[in-house]
Amino acid sequence: MAPQARRQRYEGRLLVAPLSGFLIVLIGLPLVADLFYSVSKIGFENLRTPQFSGLQNYARSLSDPEFWAAAWFSLRFGLLVGFLELAIGLTLAIFLAPLLSAHSWLMGILMLPMMVAPALVGLMYRLILHEFVGPAPYYLLEWFGYFPSFLGRGNAFWTLVVIETLQWTPFALLILYGAYAAIPSDLREAAALDGAHGFRRLMAIDLPLILPTIGVTFFIRFIDSFRVFDNIYTLIGAGAGGSTTSMSIYIYEAFFKVGDIGLAVAASMVLLAASFAVLYAINRLTSRAAAT
Amino acid sequence: MTARASARAKLVALARWAVFALAALILNFPVIATFVTSLKGDAEIATNPSLWIVAPTLGNYAAIFAMADRFDILHFLSNSLIESLLGTIMAVVLAFPAAYAIARYNFGRRWLLPLVVNLRAVPLIIFAIPIYLMYQQVHLLDTRFGLALILCLVNIPLVLALLTTAIAEAPVEIEEAARVDGASTLVLLLHILAPMLLSSLAATCVLSFIYAWNEFLFGLMLTTRSAVPISVGASFFFAASGGGVRWGVASAVMMLATLPPLLLGLLMYRQIGRSLAAGAVKG
Repeated sequence: MAPQARRQRYEGRLLVAPLSGFLIVLIGLPLVADLFYSVSKIGFENLRTPQFSGLQNYARSLSDPEFWAAAWFSLRFGLLVGFLELAIGLTLAIFLAPLLSAHSWLMGILMLPMMVAPALVGLMYRLILHEFVGPAPYYLLEWFGYFPSFLGRGNAFWTLVVIETLQWTPFALLILYGAYAAIPSDLREAAALDGAHGFRRLMAIDLPLILPTIGVTFFIRFIDSFRVFDNIYTLIGAGAGGSTTSMSIYIYEAFFKVGDIGLAVAASMVLLAASFAVLYAINRLTSRAAAT
Repeated sequence: MTARASARAKLVALARWAVFALAALILNFPVIATFVTSLKGDAEIATNPSLWIVAPTLGNYAAIFAMADRFDILHFLSNSLIESLLGTIMAVVLAFPAAYAIARYNFGRRWLLPLVVNLRAVPLIIFAIPIYLMYQQVHLLDTRFGLALILCLVNIPLVLALLTTAIAEAPVEIEEAARVDGASTLVLLLHILAPMLLSSLAATCVLSFIYAWNEFLFGLMLTTRSAVPISVGASFFFAASGGGVRWGVASAVMMLATLPPLLLGLLMYRQIGRSLAAGAVKG
């Protein structure tokens, strides 16, 4: 046993070495650089000779109202989109379940939105929402005699929420339908014998059983929407009076538009710390749930 | 079943079809509207924004290739193809042996797997700035290989999770028999495990390719001319004619840019769905 264990340790090291090396170069080094630049006075002109500046960059980013506006945007956006996708996805999954289990190709059609690049979806909505050539204003005008300014200051946030939700509800639908369809039929039959039908069975049997999947789905979609960049960038950029600046857009703009590397990098580190905090909390929650 | 109950069941079934049709229409509306517009002439686009085409034409698709001297769509498409393929292959090559070590030897299960899987939850913009500065130093900016490396990085979490599960679920007996015959681990991976896991590998590659094709942030930051992928290049056509946007041409470009992942999705929705579900549950 001992020589085999030793051989496995040796081979294990060799087998993970390429991946580890790759990650050290493309994740490790950038993180070190992030840390280093975040405590330096740095711009594109003195990349090689940064000056130590302590926590100044952090102080600047944390006292920047736009930083907090971006954080608030991303948080609100992520929570709202995650909740909407979950609600619509779950409703569709349960209502369409008999149809989807009889004709599985229908799921293929509903999954298509996920295949389109979010950046292209943003571009497509430039057309769809366009005042003169877009079908959305055209039909709203035809049916209701009115259409809002979709990308105006007050509406842009909601327009983006709808766009993101429509593209990724299929994800929630797919995952939740999978969990729902996997509920053993004898459990349902036992519930039916006990007189639990329809809504009562749903609340007593189905939902509790797929609750862990609901949690995971929400978490994944929250994270992905929190870091939203592509579709906002291609549809409006940080337009609409800065009312659509997500966290990712904020960092991108600080770096490329303003050239303030220190600020952008300090904001990145704060974002990383926040991500770790969320991940840690989730891991604690799920391990506690698994233990009970 | 009474006549009334069966009539009710029929009605419910009909309602399900109606809800499906409505959901399919609304969820796929961006692609449908873009496709319809790509088949309209300039004059019709200006007067008829509805989803009904009066005089269908392929003129917009022809027009894309007529402006190839300024905006070469084939250049963007081939960039995307090469970069996505290269990124996918690299991700599988790096992750496959590591997945084997995790699944069979439990080596790295405690640190490597959680580290990589959690990477999926970290906003990529955090690494984008130092990677940009690093690339500047080593002259990888605006190269196909440079972007392919990033596409590989983006896909590593998913690929590692999927391959680890696939290997763990594969029967171990054949491997043990081969070991008795003196096969080395490398031979085992390439000649026994890889063929056995062919369908999982294929599904993983397809999903990884689609993600790579659709990646935007790093394409935007790290490329300017020679390595621009279609996800970034597509927006160039919006400004192609100087004045206003030629919506027909822009729509045709968007359709061509979306076609590869869309076709893969239509053909392999079963495998993709399984992979997405597996990735979600493990992640």
